[in-house]
Amino acid sequence: MSWGTFLDYTVNGLVVGNIYALLAVGLALIFGVANLINFAHGSLYTVGAYVGWICITQLHWPFLLTVPTVLIVSAVLGVAIERLALRPLHGSSRIAPLLATIGLSLVLDQIVQLVFTPNPRALPSPLPDWRFQIGGGTIGTLDLLILGVGLGTAGLLYVFLRFTKLGWAVRATAQDIDAAKQMGVDTNRVNMSVFAIASALGGLSGMLVGMYYNNIDPGMSFDATLKGVVAQIIGGMGNVPGAIAGSLLLGLIESYGIALFGTSYRNLFAFVLLILILILRPNGLFASAKEMPPEPMTGSFVARGKPIRIPLPAIAGVVVLAALLPLAGSDYLLQTGTNALLYGLLALSLTLVAGTVGMVSLGHAGLLAIGAYASALLAIELAIPVVLAIAIAGVVTAVVGTLLVFPAFRMRGHYVSIATLAIGQIVALVILNWNSLTRGPIGISGIPPLSLAGIPLYDAPQAYWFVLAVVVALALLQARVLSSHLGRTWRALRDDDIAARSHGIDVNRYKAMAFAFGGFGAGVGGAVTAHLYSYINHETFNAQISVLALTIAILGGLGNITGAMLGSVLLIGLPEIFRGLAEYRMLIYGIVLLLLIRVRPQGLLGTA
Amino acid sequence: MRDPDSRRPLVSLTRRAALLALGAAGLARTAMAADPVIVGVSGPLTGPAAQYGAQWKKGFDLALDDINGPGGGIKGRPLAYQFEDSQNDPRQSVAIAQKFVGDQKIVVEIGDFSSPASMAASPIYQRGKLVQFGFTNSHPDFTKGGDYMWSNSISQSEQSPQLATFAVQQLGLKKVAILHLNTDWGRTSKDLAVATVKALGAEVVATEGYMPEERDFRSTLVRVRDAHPDGVILISYYADGALIARQTRVAGITQPLVAIGSVYSPKFIELGGDAVDGVYTQSNFFPEEPRPEVKDFVARFTARYHEEPDAFNAYGYDTMVLLAAVMRQFGTTRADIRTGLEKIRDVPSVIFGRVAFDPVTRRVAGANTANLQVKGGKFVSWDGKPAPRS
Repeated sequence: MSWGTFLDYTVNGLVVGNIYALLAVGLALIFGVANLINFAHGSLYTVGAYVGWICITQLHWPFLLTVPTVLIVSAVLGVAIERLALRPLHGSSRIAPLLATIGLSLVLDQIVQLVFTPNPRALPSPLPDWRFQIGGGTIGTLDLLILGVGLGTAGLLYVFLRFTKLGWAVRATAQDIDAAKQMGVDTNRVNMSVFAIASALGGLSGMLVGMYYNNIDPGMSFDATLKGVVAQIIGGMGNVPGAIAGSLLLGLIESYGIALFGTSYRNLFAFVLLILILILRPNGLFASAKEMPPEPMTGSFVARGKPIRIPLPAIAGVVVLAALLPLAGSDYLLQTGTNALLYGLLALSLTLVAGTVGMVSLGHAGLLAIGAYASALLAIELAIPVVLAIAIAGVVTAVVGTLLVFPAFRMRGHYVSIATLAIGQIVALVILNWNSLTRGPIGISGIPPLSLAGIPLYDAPQAYWFVLAVVVALALLQARVLSSHLGRTWRALRDDDIAARSHGIDVNRYKAMAFAFGGFGAGVGGAVTAHLYSYINHETFNAQISVLALTIAILGGLGNITGAMLGSVLLIGLPEIFRGLAEYRMLIYGIVLLLLIRVRPQGLLGTA
Repeated sequence: MRDPDSRRPLVSLTRRAALLALGAAGLARTAMAADPVIVGVSGPLTGPAAQYGAQWKKGFDLALDDINGPGGGIKGRPLAYQFEDSQNDPRQSVAIAQKFVGDQKIVVEIGDFSSPASMAASPIYQRGKLVQFGFTNSHPDFTKGGDYMWSNSISQSEQSPQLATFAVQQLGLKKVAILHLNTDWGRTSKDLAVATVKALGAEVVATEGYMPEERDFRSTLVRVRDAHPDGVILISYYADGALIARQTRVAGITQPLVAIGSVYSPKFIELGGDAVDGVYTQSNFFPEEPRPEVKDFVARFTARYHEEPDAFNAYGYDTMVLLAAVMRQFGTTRADIRTGLEKIRDVPSVIFGRVAFDPVTRRVAGANTANLQVKGGKFVSWDGKPAPRS
C-alpha cells in the first residue's frame, strides 16, 4: 500500500469516525449520569433528521434557523422521555429503564414511519459544497462542520462539567446519586438537563448525518445506536472525550479493515477488535487503570424483589391446557404457539445467564444461529436423522457458545452486554463470510422437516407438541438445577462474585456451566427453527432477535422460568393479536410494552 | 332540567346501535351478492423493509382500480387483497402462512419480500396446496420449494448477464470493478455478472460486497479506485446505489457507473442528486416505451399518485393483473389457480412482453430491457455511444 493510499484510508476513517462521534457523545453523557445505555437515543437522531427535513425542504427555512429548531425540539422530546418514561422507574430496578428505552425507541420510530411514510427521503445540505483535496480524495464543508460540532460540543461539555455549578452537580450525581442528594443537589433537575443536552445533540447529529448522506429514513436509528454504543465502549463508557477518541478509532479500524480484508470484513474486523479491547482494557482505552468501573457494583444490577410464586398445580394446569391447544383446530394459533414456545426456549436460556448468573447477554441470537446451522448442515451434508441432528446441534452450541463468550467472563455489568452483542454480530458475520461451509448470503435451503423415527412431524399440531415437549423438559430441568446447590452457586456469583471467589468457588467454571446449559437450550431452539423454516441465511437470526429475547426475559422477570414463558407468549402473541391494526400494530405493541414496564418494573412475575 | 328522562342518552345510543346493526346487515347482503375474491399478501408494512410493502400497495391498488372498475371484477365478483404485515421476518411470515392456508377465503398468496421470510413459509404453502406467488423472489431456489411456488420475478440469470453485456460490449468497458449488496440476491447477481464479463473477454479487477445497512463507502471506493477499473458495475437497490454514486465523486472516481435495473426509481435521482448524472442503467420498463401497457400504467400511476412509478410499483401492478387474468380464464379456487398458472399465455405485462410460465421452473422468461442513462435529473434512453474514457 502506498503512502498516498494509506493517507486516503486514514482520512476516510476519521471522516466516518467523526460522524460516529456525534452519537457517541450523547450516549456517553447519558450513560455517565444515568448509568443507562439509552436505546432511544437513535430515535432522537431520527426525529432530529425529520425535523430538519421539514424545516429545510418544506418550510424553506435558512440553515441558521433550522439548527436551533432541531436542537429545541429534540431537547424537549428528551426531557419528556426522562420525565414521563424513565423517572417513574427510578429506584425500582436497574434493568427496567433499559427496557423502557427499547420500548420508547420502538414507539418513536413507528410514529416517524407513520407520519413520514417508510420511504427514504433526500435531505439536501443548504450549505455551499466547497471541497478540499486531501490525498486522492476530498473532504467538504459538511465534514468540517460535523468535526466542528463534535469537537465544539466536547469542549463545551468539558467547560460545563468542570466549571459550572450545574456541571458539578452532574458529575456529583454521576459519581454517587445518594451523596449528591444529601448535599442538596436536585438530581431530578440534573437528569433532566443531561437528557436535554444529550437529546439536542442527538437530534442535531441526525440532521447533519442525514445531510451528509442526503438520505434519511425511519429505520436509521438501530444501526446508528449500535455504532455509537460500540464507539463509546472503546473510549470508556460514560467518558465524553473518550467517546470522541473511541469514535475516531472505530472509524479508523473499519477503514483499515476494509483496506486489509475487503468490504465484507469491515464489521467483523471491528467487532473482533472490540472484544480484544474489552479483554485487555475492560474500562475502555482511555480510562485510567485505577479508576473504579463506572457501573453498578456487584449485586445491584439485577433488581431484587420477591418473585410471584405460582402454585405447582396451576402451572401443571397451564401445561395441560397448552397440550390441548391443538383441539382448537386452528393451525395459525398453533404456529403462533410454536413460535412463542421457541422464543420461550431462547428466553429460558437468557433468563438463566442474565437473571440467575447476572451476565446480561445482548447476542443471544448468535446461539440460535449456531444451533440452526449445525443442525441443518448435519442433516443435509451427513444425512443424520433430524432429531439426532437437533440434539447434536444443542451440544455444539453449548460448546461453541461457551468458548465464544469465555473472554467475557471476567467482565461485569454493561461490558458483558456489549461483549455478547459483539459476539452475536461476529457469529452472523462469520456465517456471511464462510462461504465454503455456510454458503454465505445464499443461505441453506431444502433443510429437511422435523421428523421422529422416520415419522414426519411437519403438520402444525405435531410440530407444536414436539416443541412443547422440548420446552417443558428443559424448563423442568432448569427448575431442578436452580433449586440445587448449582443454582445457589450461580446466584452467589451474581450477588457478590468476590465473596463467592473467597469461598473457593471457581467463578469461570460455574459461569461456563451456565452458558453451556443455556447454550444447549438456545441451540436446540435454533435447530428446531431451521427444520421448521426449511431455509436459513445470515439474516434469519439478526440482532433484533437478541433485543427481543432480552425484552422477553426482562418483562417476565429476570431469572424467572415461568416469567420467561409468560413473557414470550405475550410478546409473540400481542403482535399477532394486533394484526388488524396493520401499520399501527407495532406502535400499539410498543405502548403496551411501556405500560407493562411502568406497572411491573421488576418484571411481570418478579425476579427470581 | 326540562327532560326528566335521564335514560334518554342511553335510549338514543341503543337506537343508534340498532341503526348501525341494520346498516351492517345491509352491507352484508350486498356483499353476499358479490363476495370478493381475496388474495392474501404477506409482506412488510412496518420494520426496516416497510418502504417496499408501501410500494407494493400502490401497484396493487392501481391494478385493482382497473380490474374492478372497467374490467368488472372476476366474473362479477370484486377482487380484493388482505395484506398481513410480516415485518419481513420469517417468524411472522410462517404464522401468516398458516393463517392464509387455514382461511378458505384466500385463493392465492403473494409474497413475502426477502428470501428468508418467503422461503421459510414455502413448506406451509406447499403442504396446504395454496399457491405462493413470490413476485420479488429471484433466489434461484425459491421455486424449487415445491410445485406451488411460482414467481414472475426477473430471473438473475437473465438480468445480470444482460447488464454485463451492456457494460462490456455496448459501453466498451474492458476492466470493470463490481460493487454488490452482500445478500442472496446481490451475491448471485454478482457471480453471474463476473462470469459474463469474463466470457466476453473483459477483466474483473475488483469485487466488493457490502451490507444493506452500510452508508459509508469511501474506503471501499479507495479499493475500487486503486484497482484502476475503466468502469464500475453496481448491483444495488436505489437507496444504497445513490449513496455510492455520491461518494464516488468524493473519493476521486470519475469512471462511468453502470447500475442494475433495481436502481430504476425516481428516488435514485432524488437521493443521488447531481452525483447520479451520467449513470447507465437498464430497466425492465421505461415510461417512454411505446407499448400500450406501459403507457397506460405510467399515465394512470402518475394521475393517481402524483409521482413516477418505479420498478417495485410495476412488479406489484403486473402481479395483480396477471392473477386476475388467471382467475378470469381458469376460475377462482386454489386448484384452478394452480393449474391456470401453468396454462396461462399472453397476459399483457409492463415488465415482460407477454407473460407465460415455464412449467418446469415455474418462472417467466423474456423481460423487456431498455438501456438508459441518467441525464439532467431524468432517465433517458441511452444514446448508443460507448462510455467516455476517463
